[in-house]
Amino acid sequence: MFIKRSIPLLLTALFAFSATAQDDMSQDDNLLLSEVVASDDAAAASKDRFRELDKDVQSLKKEVLDLNRDLFLLEEELLFPANSQVAFFISMDVGEYFALDSVSLKINGKEVANYLYTNREVDALLRGGVHRMHMANLKTGDHELVAVFTGKGPHSRDYRRGATLEFSKGIGAKYLELEITDRVKKQQPEFEIKEWE
Amino acid sequence: MKMKKALIGIGLSLIAASGLAVADLTGKEAPDFALKSSTGDNLRLSEYRGDVVMVNFWATWCGPCRQEMPLLEELFSRYERVGFTLLGVNIDDDPRRAMAMAEELGVTFPVVFDNTKEVSRLYDVNAMPVTVLVDKEGQVRHVHHGYKPGYEEKYLNEVRALLRE
Repeated sequence: MFIKRSIPLLLTALFAFSATAQDDMSQDDNLLLSEVVASDDAAAASKDRFRELDKDVQSLKKEVLDLNRDLFLLEEELLFPANSQVAFFISMDVGEYFALDSVSLKINGKEVANYLYTNREVDALLRGGVHRMHMANLKTGDHELVAVFTGKGPHSRDYRRGATLEFSKGIGAKYLELEITDRVKKQQPEFEIKEWE
Repeated sequence: MKMKKALIGIGLSLIAASGLAVADLTGKEAPDFALKSSTGDNLRLSEYRGDVVMVNFWATWCGPCRQEMPLLEELFSRYERVGFTLLGVNIDDDPRRAMAMAEELGVTFPVVFDNTKEVSRLYDVNAMPVTVLVDKEGQVRHVHHGYKPGYEEKYLNEVRALLRE
């Protein structure tokens, strides 16, 4: 009889115990969960902060790069403005009566370039090459160019000839070609300065 | 007082730094030049790209140059056929004297004349002779100021090493 009575009691006690244990466990879990959630939140917030900082740094870097590029272009425009640019080219046609040695350029009486040509370079010119000998910045207006060519003329004699051109520099870049050609009739070389259109 | 000393120190170090910056060409691209040679042709350094080039600055009034030149000639005649070139840059005002001396010493390597001293300035030549070794890529690899007996051994080793690259 006693045993019969005691079984339900035991069962209820066990049930109660397990219930409280379960309650405790779920409470612990909740605590842990909340802690994890809290730390996750903090991590996410700091991550966000970092991401923002990173973005800021990136945009700042981009701005610096943009600024650098703008400055570079500005500097280039200031140093070599397209409008004031003048380029001088040397070309040679046939060259039977003249073996080129050097060319010197004077702009408005001032020597600006002096170039010695090697055999290979002369050969390249004879094959149709064009040499950009000099680039300058000039103001708009009238200028004088004197080109002095030295080399060996007919019968391997030392030859020195000048060519002069008065040119007017307008708005926009200018290109001048100094051309060495043969004048077959006179059996002499000819030096011409042409303005490119 | 301290300030003054510091300023002087800074000034001196700046001068030294700028001096070094000009003097040290090693590891940099060899400044290009074109000069008239004793044969009448114009020679340009950059056209020797692919060869090991020794640029030797010399003058007729320089005793060590006279000593060094026959040894350089030996080096040139030995390695010319395997891609070695020697350019003797003479800095005399009158090329005729240089030509006479080169002939007297039996020099066969190309001698070029820098009578305007433009190239010497480019290479910051502040002693005589100055020997610059340029590799196949056109980079300055060794610079020697002056000449003392025994330097030819150094040149030989350096040229051989550069040819092997």
